[in-house]
Amino acid sequence: MKRIGVFVCHCGTNIANTVHCDQVAEVAKDFPGVVYSCDYKYMCAEPGQQLIQDAVREHNLDGYVVAACSPRMHEPTFRKCAERAGLNPYMIEQVNIREQCSWVHADKEKGTEKSIDLLRMAVAKARKNEPLSSSTIPVTKRALVIGAGIAGIQTAIDIADNGFQVTLLDREHSIGGRMAQVDKTFPTLDCSACILTPKMVEAAQHPNIEMVTYAEVTAVDGFVGNFDVTIRKKARYVDFDKCTGCGACQEKCPKKVSSEFEMGLGPRKAIYVPFPQAVPNKPVIDAEHCRYLLDGKCGVCKKICPTEAVDYEQKDEVIVERYGSIVVATGFDQFDISKYEEYGAGRYPDVITGLHLERLMNASGPTAGKIKRPSDGKVPEKIVFIKCVGSRDEAKGRPYCSKACCMYVAKHATLIKEKMPQSKSYIFYMDVRTGGKSYEEFYKRTQEQYDGQYIRGRVSKIFQVGDKLIVRGEDSLIGRPVEIEADLVVLAAGMEPRADAVALARTLGISYDQHGWYTEAHPKLQPIETHTAGIYLAGVCQGPKDIPESVAQASAAAVKATGLLSKGELTSEAMIAECNEAVCAGCGLCISVCPYKAIEKKKVSERVHGQMKERVVAVVNPGLCQGCGACTVNCPSSAMNINGFTNEQILAEVDALCQR
Amino acid sequence: MNSLIKEMQALAQELLASGEVKGVFGWTKGSRWYLTPPLFIQKAEDAIKLHYDEFAINNLTSLLLDYRNSDDKIAIFVKGCDSRGILRLIQDKQVNPEKVLVIGLPCPGMVDKEAVKDQRHVHDLPLLRKCQECRYPNPVLADRTLGDVQVTKEPGVPIGITAERAIQKGVGSKGKERYQEVKEIEALSADEKYAFWQKQHEKCLRCYACRNICPACNCRECIFESDKKGWVNKAATTTDNAFFGITRAMHVAGRCVDCGECERVCPAGIPIMKINRKIMQDIDELFGTYDAGTDLEEAGPLNHFKLDDPEEFL
Repeated sequence: MKRIGVFVCHCGTNIANTVHCDQVAEVAKDFPGVVYSCDYKYMCAEPGQQLIQDAVREHNLDGYVVAACSPRMHEPTFRKCAERAGLNPYMIEQVNIREQCSWVHADKEKGTEKSIDLLRMAVAKARKNEPLSSSTIPVTKRALVIGAGIAGIQTAIDIADNGFQVTLLDREHSIGGRMAQVDKTFPTLDCSACILTPKMVEAAQHPNIEMVTYAEVTAVDGFVGNFDVTIRKKARYVDFDKCTGCGACQEKCPKKVSSEFEMGLGPRKAIYVPFPQAVPNKPVIDAEHCRYLLDGKCGVCKKICPTEAVDYEQKDEVIVERYGSIVVATGFDQFDISKYEEYGAGRYPDVITGLHLERLMNASGPTAGKIKRPSDGKVPEKIVFIKCVGSRDEAKGRPYCSKACCMYVAKHATLIKEKMPQSKSYIFYMDVRTGGKSYEEFYKRTQEQYDGQYIRGRVSKIFQVGDKLIVRGEDSLIGRPVEIEADLVVLAAGMEPRADAVALARTLGISYDQHGWYTEAHPKLQPIETHTAGIYLAGVCQGPKDIPESVAQASAAAVKATGLLSKGELTSEAMIAECNEAVCAGCGLCISVCPYKAIEKKKVSERVHGQMKERVVAVVNPGLCQGCGACTVNCPSSAMNINGFTNEQILAEVDALCQR
Repeated sequence: MNSLIKEMQALAQELLASGEVKGVFGWTKGSRWYLTPPLFIQKAEDAIKLHYDEFAINNLTSLLLDYRNSDDKIAIFVKGCDSRGILRLIQDKQVNPEKVLVIGLPCPGMVDKEAVKDQRHVHDLPLLRKCQECRYPNPVLADRTLGDVQVTKEPGVPIGITAERAIQKGVGSKGKERYQEVKEIEALSADEKYAFWQKQHEKCLRCYACRNICPACNCRECIFESDKKGWVNKAATTTDNAFFGITRAMHVAGRCVDCGECERVCPAGIPIMKINRKIMQDIDELFGTYDAGTDLEEAGPLNHFKLDDPEEFL
């Protein structure tokens, strides 16, 4: 019989206030297998750990049980302590008598009773513990960054600077993302392009960065350290090796298309680069609009191209690459304002969003930086901003705050006043949220120096009279209705996850919340990691952020990714599923139920009635298995077991509870 | 019916004589007028022993498990309910579909001789309850069919030469009421339910007949015979019997093909199908209607990992 030790922790008064720790330790002495039992004020502290190690040696323990806090807190501590004492770290159990007992109960006698029951179960399980060992997996020292906005670019540069190869992938054909569309950045009003384009160029020229644009991730196989990523490179119809980016094709292309980059406020051609500072600055052909690709007529770009780079025959290319870690930085979509019918968005051309205004203010935008109304090109004088459009609105399914809008509206009001001193901005708001360094000061300046008039209240309706937009709302501070005859209405549209965010999450095997934002492993202590080892998050794809926050998270993700890559090999989890081949019937139900694709079939030979027969059994890939246990509950033959949580161990715990 | 038996005999004779199959599972006329027990023949001349009537209740499919290591092809006669068992075995990879020749039969509806006290004068025995509740009277899968029956993957009415009799007898007439017994138990209080099942489990002899007849019970090594794990005592105490009964039910959860054989073979008369049906009803409610063993491609709601699974329990 195994010799088990029991160590009951007081956790100062955290446990001792609600549990008679000394009594628990005393009763445990009579549990089957227990040869030593004691209590101590802080088991996790150095003297506590020393006490455990001494007891292991003195009483020749085969394993021990620590009754203390949650294993999430200190299981690694007590495992390491076991290793120092010469035990296999998986020979120990930690039973949670703090979060699951003392913290949730008030009656000390009953708390003691419950602690004893919990401990009795843990001892029964510990008696069935077996030494476990982990295997090692080699790491592919290369990272993939999905999405090349400011977060993705920053992550890629940081990983590359740390000396690792990184692939920076974007589905658009230029990197830059949303920040490239922005005119100026708060709170310092630097020109967005002036601070972004040097980074774009740096990423393009960095020897450790491979840029893969106009490409999408279609499948991810493998596991931490070795992800096999299938990438579909969309056909560009332009040979990038031959193209010099001279721009002649763009000039001559007869087909005009509304530009996505300009938010539909200006045209582009069917062969185009989205904006002048694009990286790479070489055009692609938009197959949906190209006359030649649609009906075989035209071919002007091919004729004009001095280097014969245009290739109408190009096809999508699918490649599979192996990466050690993946950073997801896919950003956001702007909320679709047409869902607010009362604001007339979509019906009135002069009701626009913040991103539209960015393009109207931008010197390289469709109006060359002159703010003109989309409807008639008039310069607006009275401008109304409405905040929280698609944010903090449960009726629209967007209960969260988009965080950046308060500041970008203040920025817009400031910049408009600077450009057009005769103009007047009215800002309807619910609250003004300006948490952030120098943000509140900026907001104050908007009000005091730039004449931004903040009106607390919601707008109920916008309608057109002549060439004016009548904005009717309520000033809830004075409790009166207000009506403003505006020339231009800017809706501070919130952020929402990319339309295909959920599809990508499923491809990657990461989790997402009810809105579609990717979920971090822990909201406070692991805000960069996902629940899938080796995949990290950067930027808005995890939740609304402004640029400084996105960049900070991007650098953090780079550290996480390189931390993983800098290891030569990874230790696989020891508590994973294992198949008992003798019992396995080969039905394959474990394979279909496994969320990590960690189980495969293999053939085994065995002697049956004097003949060698082949049959199929399940085999677990230790690198992929996360120990979730789906296969163990689904296995009809009980051939699957989670090491460290075997069916026998769990049954022993249930038995111990029933036999008290 | 006689012409159908002749067809069966002729086919079996031909299959064995040509060597296409090495054995045939069917039924034969037993030592009593109300017995039509299983028959396994390996010689063409034995084909004449085959018989089929409304007492051929036995689901023969689990017998195929004895041949799972064999390289020989085996033919098996199936009724509608039995054919779902074949599908179960194929899905569980216990039977190689290329090593089995499934011969589908029309079903006249099986009768319940126990329902009549005076068994000397029985001309019109009532149908077994399971046949009244039958939703799949035709084979859901077959390589050959006899008696004009057709393979039907969806619930339906009897087809083939016995169809008229089956419909007149009421095969499938209570298909919609199959959860009736479950509802009755659900209406009881927790204590009443416990008392009810305690009483049932007290009777269990642990003969494992329910397991042996079940096509879903196809493990290589049954945990109830593996003493080293200490799952359950061998003694037939009420507690251990209950552990067996509940574990068996969970073992076939989402895989039970609703043939009702476990309950029929139980010598202690434990209403085993009540608990099987309870699980079926729960699966229907949680995941949408699902009939195990009707579609080879569909492994069943409990055997997939789907990100959009309903998660009411979380």
